[in-house]
Amino acid sequence: GGGGARGGAKAIVEPHRHEGVFVSRGKEDHLLTRSSAPGIEVYGEKRITVDNSEKGEDGAPVTTKVEYRVWNPFRSKLAAGIIGGIDNIYMGPGKKVLYLGAASGTSVSHVADIVGSTGNVYAVEFSHRSGRDLVNMAQNRTNVIPIVEDARHPMRYRMLVPMVDCIFADVAQPDQARIVALNAHMFLKIGGGVVISIKANCIDSTAAPEAVFAQEVQKLRAERIKPQEQLTLEPFERDHCIVIGQYQEAK
Amino acid sequence: MGKIDFLLHESALGYAIFKVVHQQDTVGLHLKEVQQAGQDLAKFGKMVQLVNFAPWRNAADALENINLISEGILPDYLKSDLELNLPQAKKSKIVLGVADKNLAGSIKAEFPSVECETGDTSEVVADLLRGVRLHAAKLLKGLEEGDVERAQLGLGHAYSRGKVKFNVHKNDNHII
Repeated sequence: GGGGARGGAKAIVEPHRHEGVFVSRGKEDHLLTRSSAPGIEVYGEKRITVDNSEKGEDGAPVTTKVEYRVWNPFRSKLAAGIIGGIDNIYMGPGKKVLYLGAASGTSVSHVADIVGSTGNVYAVEFSHRSGRDLVNMAQNRTNVIPIVEDARHPMRYRMLVPMVDCIFADVAQPDQARIVALNAHMFLKIGGGVVISIKANCIDSTAAPEAVFAQEVQKLRAERIKPQEQLTLEPFERDHCIVIGQYQEAK
Repeated sequence: MGKIDFLLHESALGYAIFKVVHQQDTVGLHLKEVQQAGQDLAKFGKMVQLVNFAPWRNAADALENINLISEGILPDYLKSDLELNLPQAKKSKIVLGVADKNLAGSIKAEFPSVECETGDTSEVVADLLRGVRLHAAKLLKGLEEGDVERAQLGLGHAYSRGKVKFNVHKNDNHII
């Protein structure tokens, strides 16, 4: 911690349009999540503590310290998407999120903050090296269930995952749409959300990004995931987009 | 499409066997009302009935079972659970709905009187197992609020630590 973003008592924190996400207003604005493990940083991110006064039971004001963590859109595609103006992230307090491609768990820790103590994040990561960091991060956040396993084989982790409200995917694999569909058919509630980060040249490095995005959206549609939004992650990422869809009943 | 007699649900708490008491016919499966019944506990609770719930005896037992199940191998604990709770019909085979086709193969090899349908071979099984997963906390008797999540957390850590620990290579295995 320490350094620039620390505004002390001067920082003003406002709730974002998406429940569980916050914004600090100051010289620069920052996207924040309310830390569910105060005092602990996950990846060197800045932390902001503000005094929160509420009326106590007897009517007297009670001041508590609330810690927020700065969420960097250059490091998290979901944060970039939120700044870009996604309409519905399908995540919020109390929600259950299946997170495919959890990596070391830096973004996962922010999603864990968003869903809070009544929600859960089921974080799947195949790489053992990243998986180690993910397991360590999850030790301080008991709403994160770490799953070191291949997202291509949801059968292998079916004993660990319930029906979820949202699947977030950032697996950067050519068969990403198929991976998401396999997981949705097993674990996603009807009406639940799919949020996918698509990197064009991970799917097909020879085609134009727009053509790749359109083709991926078509694949999702065929799997009962109705596309609702698509936005590029400029200026934070190049040739990336986020697609949001809703899981439909079979017709 | 034949009738499904029983369902197997593997969870972080243990194995559960359900009897399918009222099965929608395949023709009606994709009707909106039928899928909505799967989402509504009051209606779904009339379609399946818990026969037996076999919780893990301890954490080591849970880890051993998930390691075998994830590979599609039939653990001894599940084998004895099926022996005790499935009727041993001589004349007609009973049909058990299972999530994974590899496990289905292992069960069929061990139980000649049991026929297995999986989510791949039967949409009815896929939808019924989705319903069980959705309502598991309520269908498994005697659970308290948060029991399922606590079990998932403990077993998730144990399973993942096992994966990370038993890999002899320090680096990632790259798929080329």
